[in-house]
Amino acid sequence: MPGSEEVRRPAFDNKIHSPLSEERQRAIMKNNRHLLNCRKQFFLPRITGLRLRSIYSIGILFLWMTSCKQAAKPSSHSASGKPIAAKTRLLYSKGFTIEYFENYKLVKIVNSFSNKTDTLQYVLVQRGTPAPKNYPGAQVIQIPVQKLMVTSSMHIALAEFAGAADVITGLAESKYITSPVVRKNLATGKVAEVGNGSAMNYELIISMKPDLLMTMGSPDAPIARYQPLTGAGIPVMMNAEWMETDPMGRSEWVKLMAALLNKEEVVNPKFEAMEREYNRIKDLAAKVTNKPEVVVGMPFKGTWYVPDADSYLTQFLRDAGASYHWSDVKSTGSLAFNFETVAPVALKADFWINMSNARSKEEIAANDQRYTQFNPYQKGTLYNNNKRLNDIGANDYWESGAVHPSLILADLVKIFHPELLPGHQLFYYQQLQ
Amino acid sequence: MTVATHTATGKYQWAASVTKLTALFFLLLIAFITDIAFGSVSIPLRAVLDIIISGKAGNEAWIYIVEEIRIPKAITAVIVGCGLPVSGLQMQTLFRNPLASPSILGVTAGAGLGVALVMLSAGSITTIYAIKELGISGSWLLLLAASLGAAFIMFLIIAISARIRDNVIMLVVGVMIGNITLSVISIWQYFSAPEQVKDYLLWTFGSLGGVSGSQLYLLAAVVAAGLLISFASSKMLDTLLLGEHYASTMGLTVNRTRLLIIGSTSLLAGSITAFCGPIGFIGVAVPHLARSLFNTSDHRMLIPACCLMGTSLMLLCDIIAQLPGSNSVLPINIITALVGSPVVIWIIMSRNNLKNSF
Repeated sequence: MPGSEEVRRPAFDNKIHSPLSEERQRAIMKNNRHLLNCRKQFFLPRITGLRLRSIYSIGILFLWMTSCKQAAKPSSHSASGKPIAAKTRLLYSKGFTIEYFENYKLVKIVNSFSNKTDTLQYVLVQRGTPAPKNYPGAQVIQIPVQKLMVTSSMHIALAEFAGAADVITGLAESKYITSPVVRKNLATGKVAEVGNGSAMNYELIISMKPDLLMTMGSPDAPIARYQPLTGAGIPVMMNAEWMETDPMGRSEWVKLMAALLNKEEVVNPKFEAMEREYNRIKDLAAKVTNKPEVVVGMPFKGTWYVPDADSYLTQFLRDAGASYHWSDVKSTGSLAFNFETVAPVALKADFWINMSNARSKEEIAANDQRYTQFNPYQKGTLYNNNKRLNDIGANDYWESGAVHPSLILADLVKIFHPELLPGHQLFYYQQLQ
Repeated sequence: MTVATHTATGKYQWAASVTKLTALFFLLLIAFITDIAFGSVSIPLRAVLDIIISGKAGNEAWIYIVEEIRIPKAITAVIVGCGLPVSGLQMQTLFRNPLASPSILGVTAGAGLGVALVMLSAGSITTIYAIKELGISGSWLLLLAASLGAAFIMFLIIAISARIRDNVIMLVVGVMIGNITLSVISIWQYFSAPEQVKDYLLWTFGSLGGVSGSQLYLLAAVVAAGLLISFASSKMLDTLLLGEHYASTMGLTVNRTRLLIIGSTSLLAGSITAFCGPIGFIGVAVPHLARSLFNTSDHRMLIPACCLMGTSLMLLCDIIAQLPGSNSVLPINIITALVGSPVVIWIIMSRNNLKNSF
């Protein structure tokens, strides 16, 4: 369908400057569905078993302090004196756009879950001002959002990053949370559990009247599924941060949260500081000449899922100065290999990372005695991303880690090239003993 | 009605059957070597044979692949190929129903229940940690859960079967218990996160590649015990085919026989499901193949025939599932049904002697 891409992805407003060429944008759009499938596939085995994710405020504090050093940027209040906060611009994300207008912001999220790719539109209207009429089909959200319901720990991480975890009033799944604020609110009843797994309690949600329900877009959950909510006047936002192909793109969804909360002034400098830190570490690692071979993941029942060229994890490995055997193989986000394909690589690798939920060498051996013959096992270079697993089995790597890629990169560089970051203490990763 | 009527033709048949068994044995050997020789990583046949015989080769990775991956997998295929068809054969004879299978009594579903308990009840993740404190973790934990689940359903079935005299009622009760178990699992799935459901789904696809080392010995020992019981009860199975009333007038204690058969089936199906996941199809199909090919309902012949044919078929399915030359692997469950069904349809239709057996 020639031209339909234009419709799907309206021309960028001049307020948004994307570093991506129009052509690349288009290619990305084309690939979106495919990417999606992959991200999904990749994502699932990743969090296998542990179902981890969560937030922690230490990371945030750390970044907060760094960001404080960079003096606050001049804020751009709108000339009319309307409460329009600072604007934000997107540099990495391929999944959404934000445009700023007089008393509202227009957010478009790529929706590649139905049969054809198109964008979901959201009009973010300043509370108390009239909503624009020229966006038929767009959902209207009153901002700043004061009551937010979320369905993924990533969303909690976004709110924590913006320093506003308190706006969360409902959760779909209370099991895998790290954020102390949200856990405390859950205990005191300020946050309600409004769903369990894939089942949402629509009646409870409607009765609680949130300003917005944020969900994870997925092929099996089209927006039509939420008709009972949208029909009742509760906007539903389908986030797709997990389909971003690079870590910075994933974390950039904090800017969407900023737009929803009118907290651009808080989030922008924080994000920029994080971005600078990421690039600083990346530049350090770019100078290394020896790139250790890394093997990723844990096989299950003879199948070993490893990330492919488009996976954000592969991007991490590239940026951390490591060599990864399948870094150029394009697939659907992850590659489902049989054991014997990965075994020759694992036998000789220098490092083995992200072994599902294993917490000791013993557990790895208990999973399958054959793993003990891998070089990383023999050398003791096993690193798993579950250092911040909390008492309820939630892993902060999947929560705050999603919005702090610089910390994850620092961990990886520290693992692969300890001499580059002598002062860094591993934050999300731990060496298995 | 060929049972227990060994006349002159019976003796001739016996000799022919032994020839067929020998031929099947060689087929099995070829399939075994082929399964080890082919895989994603291409290793010359010469090197493979060297590794099997002397354990030496120029390439370290090759030794690892052959010794640690391919041979355990092939042996698992042999164990599964013996155990499931024999337990299917017993169920078909006990219930005199050509559609009966090892999973008919819900033992497989019981193993699934155990696995679901570990994988899906994430809310009780702390409980799992508690179990881990006991020193059981990883695949052993899964194994323990599956075995306990299968054993639980097995004892339930045995307890019920001791009270129910009619096999048809027993069959219906078994199917219903299986259904109850499956719906309990479904409830868990419904309330679980997608990634957990995916884990569980992967398990239900079945796999031969996850068993190695001491687990392999354990599986082999349990299945061997089950097979021994089956073989020892082959005379009783023959008698059962005449009908329960007739069998009891011939001096068979039907109830005790039934316990023995259900027990050995549970051992076979339960342990294999615990280690490899629910592998479908060959349990139903191979007994028919064996009956068709050997044209007999003598269990002393059918049991070894089932073992040999089942093994060859499992190895063949594994070769196909590995998609030689590619890097991925298909779930074994898909292949057994996809490849096996046409074979069974063809043999049964061409020989058209299925009815004689029941």
